[in-house]
Amino acid sequence: MTQVPIDANAEAPAVGIPSPTAPRRGHFLKKWTFDRVSFFAIFLGLPLVIYIVLVVSPFVQAIYYSLTGWTGFDSEFPFVGLDNYVRLFSDDLFVKALLNNVVLLIFVPILTIGIALIFAAMIIVGGPSRGNVRGLRGSNFYRIVSFFPFVIPSIAVGLIWAFVYNPNGGLLNGVIGFFGISPVNWLGSENTAMGCVIFVIVWASIGFYMITFIAAMKGVPSEILEAARIDGASRTRIIFTIMIPMIRDNVQTGVIYIGIAALDSFVFMSALAPTGGPNNSTWILSQQLFQTAFVQGRFGEACALGVVLAALTLAFAGLVFFINWVTGGRKENRIR
Amino acid sequence: MSIQPKKFERRGFLRGALATAVLVPAGGALASCAGGGGGGSNKAATGAVSDSNPFGMGDKTKIDAVVFNGGYKTDYVDFAGDILKKNHSGTDVKVSASTDISGELQPRFVGGNPPDMFDNSGAKSIAFSTIVDQLEPLDSVFAAKNLEGQVISDTVYPGVKDPGTFGDKFLAMNYVLTVYALWYSGSLFEENGWTPPKTWDEAIDLGSKAAAKGKKLFVFGTEAATYYHELAVSSAIKEGGDEVRLALENLDANAWSQPAITGVLGKLEEIIKRGYFVPGGSGTKFTQAQAQWSNDEMALLYPSGSWIENEMKDQTKAGFKMTGVPVPTLTSSPKLPYTALHSEAGEPFAIPSKAANIAGAKELMRTMLSKEASQNFTKTRLAPTIIKGLLPDDGYGSTALQAQKKMLDQVGTNVFTYKYETYYGGMHKTFLTLWNSFLDGKMSAADLAKNSQSEFDKIRNDSSIKKLQVK
Repeated sequence: MTQVPIDANAEAPAVGIPSPTAPRRGHFLKKWTFDRVSFFAIFLGLPLVIYIVLVVSPFVQAIYYSLTGWTGFDSEFPFVGLDNYVRLFSDDLFVKALLNNVVLLIFVPILTIGIALIFAAMIIVGGPSRGNVRGLRGSNFYRIVSFFPFVIPSIAVGLIWAFVYNPNGGLLNGVIGFFGISPVNWLGSENTAMGCVIFVIVWASIGFYMITFIAAMKGVPSEILEAARIDGASRTRIIFTIMIPMIRDNVQTGVIYIGIAALDSFVFMSALAPTGGPNNSTWILSQQLFQTAFVQGRFGEACALGVVLAALTLAFAGLVFFINWVTGGRKENRIR
Repeated sequence: MSIQPKKFERRGFLRGALATAVLVPAGGALASCAGGGGGGSNKAATGAVSDSNPFGMGDKTKIDAVVFNGGYKTDYVDFAGDILKKNHSGTDVKVSASTDISGELQPRFVGGNPPDMFDNSGAKSIAFSTIVDQLEPLDSVFAAKNLEGQVISDTVYPGVKDPGTFGDKFLAMNYVLTVYALWYSGSLFEENGWTPPKTWDEAIDLGSKAAAKGKKLFVFGTEAATYYHELAVSSAIKEGGDEVRLALENLDANAWSQPAITGVLGKLEEIIKRGYFVPGGSGTKFTQAQAQWSNDEMALLYPSGSWIENEMKDQTKAGFKMTGVPVPTLTSSPKLPYTALHSEAGEPFAIPSKAANIAGAKELMRTMLSKEASQNFTKTRLAPTIIKGLLPDDGYGSTALQAQKKMLDQVGTNVFTYKYETYYGGMHKTFLTLWNSFLDGKMSAADLAKNSQSEFDKIRNDSSIKKLQVK
């Protein structure tokens, strides 16, 4: 038999076989069958319509409202241009809330994801350095215990910790008092309030991210790990050179999720620092948004705040994608 | 060649899906701001005006009331509704309880189908400055005769219209009378031979006596730090009279440098500096702080409205004998007497102008203001309504209610009220932050006055905020 070129794109019109490109269009149109149309309608058209109605249209509407002086309680929408945005950025309280949110956005993801990764690695790889790669003894127990905080509703977690932090008779001051340290006004002094809140958010979130990372790590083929071990790789080496690079996408998703949660944090703040903390040191945008809309009756301005918050969310997600790409995520995609 | 673009398309689609996934949470933040469309009017029928039906409520109409479900619950409105149903058979009174008045009613206001009557109370109430143009004046309710045949305005305590009067319009009927006072344990004071302070100097003196017993004079919680703002301003108004109050109400440029105010703030600063406050208030929940006073007796005095007895019912030491006195004055010769009170009618009931059954809502208000319904409220909630003369001497067994009766009997016409802090929605938040810092000893009295004044200036100079004129 003659060897036919494997490359389907090889030019062979001379023998009468039509070029694959030219008739493709006709082929495409001809196959515009009910089956095909209904498939597109159900799997592309319907979600698109739902998405436009439920997500895009309120989005656009909110951007429009942010340009009006709507009070929220009538149907008058006086157009004020960018006044709301000017007001926002000249409001010290808003700027403070924005900065506090940035602090949350930096520390909550780093701490939560960092600790969750360490815990997950201990449970999957932390066991004896001989034999199969496995977790610490009793890792199942640790896994369940670390997940507990995530099962409790955030508001309950916040209230429990508010009691722990209570400066008079709270658990924490009781414990440090045992070591002879004088009581600290945890949520009431500027130096400690934000740190205390971040700790609670991290404490409550670690379990969930740990579980997702464990699931991802279990998906790493054991052949690779065994091969690495035979080659003499230490546990640390396995974690940092094999495990974490291989679950890079899960980590990226985790960072974005916890980032969005940190930007919100409304529930935790309502329980721990409903008034914004000492000298507004824990006042955040979601509290400011609620205050502007429902307490002050300035829905136009609140919508402007929502737009800023959305932009911040997008910028954060973009930044995470960028960092992942710069730190080597692009190489991996090319391999795939 | 043909494979490549196809693959690219699929990738593009997936990428779009990913972008969508990123956008969804952001969209959520925005979508919560959505408004609604306008609605048509749907007015209920009206009927003939008569003595038993002074507002001409239609026969067999429906009254839709939304009532804040807080410390007072909502069944006292049901009670009035039942009387109304008895008087006008066939009428349907629907009372819905809500803890989120602004969130629940916002779409209804925008949609043009607000309830007939609502109780604009609680932490999530609607700022009156945003809805004053959409409310029905209530003068006719107070001009009408109650179920017993007396003109309603003759049966109420003085000044109860003030908190619900905006500009020159009376728009909200505040039903419950709140007396702001200094509360203490009658039994503890008796045991130690202490007397409640009449001036700030006496208060400082009492502070040193308390310190000798290992107790503090005051305690505060972070969400309720502004109770001391109320205490200071009420004391200053008693010292300097009406001009102090009017300067504050009208956001005067020198409101916070009035000698009466700086004098009181100075005394408070001295109390804070001497360590007569339970430390750590700025990091303590207010309910915990209040329990430190009513249950642990760590502090002697607590400034609050008369709801305090009901609020702390489960966390009050047995035999505490909670009782109250008017707040202290600065000097022994204040412009208003020591017995003067900041007493304010609370639980504002209002009727939207676009309500379907305005006459029905007014009839329901008239019924609530009847002797029978008011007495039921006082008896079951241990709090006075704005209808006077219904408090029994034994206060239904409550020492706090007895104290309120005593204070109200002595007050004469020296009742005052102020509403700048609640009227301008954002102000309360600012004061909360300032007073937390001040009571925590981190801010001087001078800085507190300066920062309070700059908040006043900010609101006064903001042309987008409707100002309140108080005369």
